[in-house]
Amino acid sequence: MIIEFGHYALVLAFALTLVQSIIPFWGGITGNERLMAVASPVSVMLFILVLISFIVLTMAYLSSDFSVLNVVQNSHSAKPFLYKFTGVWGNHEGSMLLWVLILVFFGALVGFFGGNLPADLRALTLAVQGWVTAGFILFLLATSNPFQRVVNPPLEGADLNPILQDIGLAIHPPLLYVGYVGFSITFSFAVAALILGRTDAAWARWVRPWTLLAWCFLTLGIAMGSYWAYYELGWGGWWFWDPVENASFMPWLAGTALLHSAIVMEKREALKVWTILLAIFTFSLSLLGTFLVRSGVLTSVHAFATDPARGVFILGLLCIFIGGSLALYAWRAPMLKQGGLFAPISREGGLVLNNLFLTAACAAVFVGTLYPLVLDAITGETISVGAPFFNLTFGPLMIPLLMAVPFGPILSWKRGDLLAACQRLYVALGIALAMTLFTFWLWGMEKVLAPLGVGLGVWVMAGAVSEILTRVKLFEIGLKRGISRLWGLPGSAWGTAVAHFGVGVTVLGIVTASAFQEEHIQTMRPGDSVELSGYQVTFDGAAPRRGPNYTEEVGHFTIRKGGVVVSELDPSKRVYTARQMPTTEAGIYTTGFSQVYLSLGESRGDGAVDVRVYFKPMITLIWIGCVIMSIGAVFSMADRRLRVGAPKPSRKRTAAAAPAPAE
Amino acid sequence: MMFWILIAALTAAATLAVLVPLSRNRQPAGAAASKADEAVYREQLETVDRDLKRGLIEPEAAEAARTEIARRLLSASERQTQTVEKSERSLQNKIAIGLAIVFLPAATFGLYIFLGSPDQPDQPLSARLEGPAQGQSVDVLVARVERHLAENPEDGQGWAVIAPVYMTIGQPESSARAYANALRIVGPNADWLTDMGEALTIANQGLVTADARKAFDQAVSLQPEAVKPRFFLALALGQEGRTDEAVAAWEQLLEGEDETQAWVGAARAQLAELQGTAPPVANRPGPTEEDIAVTSDMTAEDRQTMIQGMVSGLAERLSAEGGSVDEWNQLMRAYMVLGEKQKAETALNDALAAYAENPDDLSLIKDAADQLGLTGS
Repeated sequence: MIIEFGHYALVLAFALTLVQSIIPFWGGITGNERLMAVASPVSVMLFILVLISFIVLTMAYLSSDFSVLNVVQNSHSAKPFLYKFTGVWGNHEGSMLLWVLILVFFGALVGFFGGNLPADLRALTLAVQGWVTAGFILFLLATSNPFQRVVNPPLEGADLNPILQDIGLAIHPPLLYVGYVGFSITFSFAVAALILGRTDAAWARWVRPWTLLAWCFLTLGIAMGSYWAYYELGWGGWWFWDPVENASFMPWLAGTALLHSAIVMEKREALKVWTILLAIFTFSLSLLGTFLVRSGVLTSVHAFATDPARGVFILGLLCIFIGGSLALYAWRAPMLKQGGLFAPISREGGLVLNNLFLTAACAAVFVGTLYPLVLDAITGETISVGAPFFNLTFGPLMIPLLMAVPFGPILSWKRGDLLAACQRLYVALGIALAMTLFTFWLWGMEKVLAPLGVGLGVWVMAGAVSEILTRVKLFEIGLKRGISRLWGLPGSAWGTAVAHFGVGVTVLGIVTASAFQEEHIQTMRPGDSVELSGYQVTFDGAAPRRGPNYTEEVGHFTIRKGGVVVSELDPSKRVYTARQMPTTEAGIYTTGFSQVYLSLGESRGDGAVDVRVYFKPMITLIWIGCVIMSIGAVFSMADRRLRVGAPKPSRKRTAAAAPAPAE
Repeated sequence: MMFWILIAALTAAATLAVLVPLSRNRQPAGAAASKADEAVYREQLETVDRDLKRGLIEPEAAEAARTEIARRLLSASERQTQTVEKSERSLQNKIAIGLAIVFLPAATFGLYIFLGSPDQPDQPLSARLEGPAQGQSVDVLVARVERHLAENPEDGQGWAVIAPVYMTIGQPESSARAYANALRIVGPNADWLTDMGEALTIANQGLVTADARKAFDQAVSLQPEAVKPRFFLALALGQEGRTDEAVAAWEQLLEGEDETQAWVGAARAQLAELQGTAPPVANRPGPTEEDIAVTSDMTAEDRQTMIQGMVSGLAERLSAEGGSVDEWNQLMRAYMVLGEKQKAETALNDALAAYAENPDDLSLIKDAADQLGLTGS
C-alpha cells in the first residue's frame, strides 16, 4: 500500500505540474495576480509530493521489497544499510527521481523565498520550471517508472554495481545533481525574462544567488566525482577526459561564464544578450549531459540505461527545451536594449575576455566529446579523442585566461588603467617568478613547462591575496585599521578573492601532481620493497578476506621513511559475489598535501602480485582548490546586497536565509 | 480502503494548493513589481555610497554610477504591467478553478489506474520470511533455511535437511555444497556421501568427477554392500574408458540381484553397451550424459513408472480423455528420455491441438517443448 501511495504521489505531481505550467503562465502574461499567486504554494506542494514518492522508494530499498522491479534489479538483501540507501539513486530510475526531486526543490525554494521577486517574474519562472518538471516526470512515468511492480517477487535482487558500493555514491551524485539541476532555475528565470521582456539589472541581481548556489554544488560534485574515480578505479588518474566527466564539466564552464557575465549585467546593464544566452546554454549542456549518460550512447559506469526508447524520449525533451528557448531568444534578443558602455580595458572588458575564453574552452570540450559520437553515428568509424586533444585545445585556452585572472578584479568599472593594475600586482608577480625560479633550481631544465605551470598557479593565488590587500590598503593605513577594513569588505569581494585563490590552488596541484609524480609498476613478492621519492614501500604479503557481499584479496604494505614506519596500507581487489564483478580498492597514504598511492593488479601465484605504486606530490591541492572555490561561492551568497529587496520587513530574514537550507 | 482514503486526502491537498491562492484578493501586480525593482536599485545606490565612503571607488566613478542607477530607477517606476479586463479575469479564474477541481483529480486518477497496481500489497523481505510457513512457496522456505544457516553455519542437521531440497529444485551444486557442510560438521555418513556424489555427477552433466568418485569410494568403505555408490563407481570406470574393469564392476553388481530392482535395467544396458551388444529394448547406443542427468535424479520407482506406466498408459489416456498441461509435458519428456523423438513430436502436436483455445496453456506447452528441443512440426 505504501509503495502504491508513493506511485500515486508521483502521478499526482505530474498532473499538478501541468496545472503549474498553465495557470501561473497565463496569469503572468495577462497580469492576473490571482492566477500568478498560484505558483508559489503549488511549487511547495510539488516538492512535498515528489518527496513522498522519493521517501517511499527509499523505504522499499531499505526493506528489500522485491515486489518493486527497480529494487529487484538494483538491490540485494545482504547489502550494507548505507548502500541500500544510496542504491536508491545508484540506478537509472532512482537517479531520475532524485533529479526530479531537486528540480521541484529549486522550484519550492523560489516559491518560498522568492517574496522579493515581482509577482509576474516569479509566476513565469515557476511556470517554466513546471514545464521542465512535467517533461521529466513524464519521462519517468512513461519509460522508467521506479514503481513498476513484480507479480511474483523473487527472494533476492541483482545487487548494485559494485563500483558504486562506496561512500562516494552517498556524496557525489546528490552534489552533482544539485549543481546540474540548480541551473534549471536560472534557465527558467532566463526564459521568463525573455517572455516578459524584463531583462534588466534587477533581473541579474535576482538570478545571482541561484547561479551561485548551483555553481557551488556543481564544483563540489565534480571534484568529489574526480576524487572518487581516483581512489576507486585504481589507475591513479584523477581526470580522464571521459565523455561523462566532460558532460558535467561543460555546464561548469558555461556556468562559470554565466556567473561572471551576470555581474556585468547587474552592475552596468551590459552583456544582457550574453548573460541570457549563457543561462540557456548552461542548462542545455546539463540536459545534453543527461542525454549522453542515459541514452546508452556512452558506455561507462554512469550509463545505467541502454534502452533506446529512453534515449529518444530525452532527445525529444532536449529538442523541445533547447530549441524552444533558443527560438524564443532569437525572437526576443534583438529587442533587448543595450546597457552601459565601457572601454576595452575595464572590469567589464576583463569579464568579457573571461567569457570568451571560457566559452571557447567549453566549445573545445564539446567538440572533443561529441565529434567521436557523431562520427560513429554517421560513418561507423570509431575514433577516440583523449587527453592529447584536450591538452592541445583546452590547455592553451586556459593559460592566457589564468594569466589574466588577477587583473580582472583590480581593474575599475567602465575605464580601467592597466599600468596601475600592473603596479598593484608587482608583488604577486615577484612571488610567482621566485617560485618559478625555485622550481627550476630544484628540478633543473629537464621539465621546462612544469616550473612555468607552478609559477602560473602561484601567480593566481598571490594575485587573489594581493587584490584583497590592496582593497583594504593594508600597507598604507597600518595593520589595525586594515584588519577592521577586511571585516567591512563586501561578501562578493571576499567571494571573488577566495574563489580565484582556489583556482590557483587547483592549478598548482594539477601541475605538480602531473609533472613530478613518480610511478612504479612491478611484480612484488612478499618482502620486496620499492623506493620512491624518499619512501620505502614494502610488500608484506596478501591474504583473502570476506566482506558482507564480496570476497577480497588484501595486500599488506608497510611504508617507511628513513627506516621509520610511517603508515601501513591494505589495498585490495574485491569480487562482488552477486554480480561476479571485480573492483579495486586503492591504498592511499596522505602526507601533507602529497599522497602515496598503491593499487593491486593481477596475482601471479606463489604470493607474488603486480603492484602499481605512485608518489603524487601535492595532488590533494586539486580537490582542496575546488573546495576553496565553492567556499568563495558561499562568501558571495552571503553578500548583503543579495539579501535586500524583500517587500515586507518580516520577510527580510527569510530572504537572507534563501541559500541556507541547501547547504 | 485505507489506501483510497489516503490518496483522496493527498489529492484534496493538491487541489487546495491551487484553490486557496485563487480565492484570495491581491494587490495589483504592477505596483508590487515596480516596488521589487526599486528595492534593488535603491540598494545599489546605497552600495555606491558605502564604497565611496570606504574609498573603494573614486568620487567621479561614484557620481557616474549614481546617474546610471537613477536612470534605471526611473524606468522601473515607469513600467506599466498590462492588466486584463475584469470580466475576462473572472472567466480566467473560473477556468483555473475548473482545472484544479476537475482536471487535476481526474487526470491523476485515470493515469494512476493505467500505470499503478493498487491491489498489490507491500512485500518487505523480512515479513515474507517471518510469516507462517504454510502456503509459502518452496523458494521462500529455502530462503528461510538459508538465512538460518547463514546465522548458524555450524548446524549440520540443517545442511542435511536442505541438501535434498536443493536437488528437487534443480540446484545440484548447492546440494553438493550442503552435503559437504553436513559431512564436515556431523561426520561421515554413507547416505550423505552417496547423495553428494550423485549431486556432483548431475551438476557435471552425468560425468562422475574425481570429487564425486572420492565421495562414492568413501561411502563404499563405510557400507560395502550399498548398491548406489557402486553403481556410480561402475559408471565412472566406463566413462574413463577402463572397459574391462567396468565390465567386471557391473557384473559384480548384477550378481545375484533381484531382476525386479529398478536400477538393474540401466545396469544391464550399460553392461551390454560396454560389451558391444546393445539390448533390443532401448533402440539407441546407450544412455547419454543427459539421460543420466534426467533419470538419475528420480528414485528407482519413478523411473520404472516412467518407462512402463507413463509411456504406454499415459499416452492412451491422454489421447482418449485428454489431460492437464503437466501431463502432456510429462509425456513429451518421457518420449524424449527414451529417445523417441518422433513420438514426442506427435505428442506435442496432440497437446497443441487439445489446448488450441487456451493461449496461456499453449505457451506453457510450447515452453516445455522448447526446453526439450521439440519443434512441433
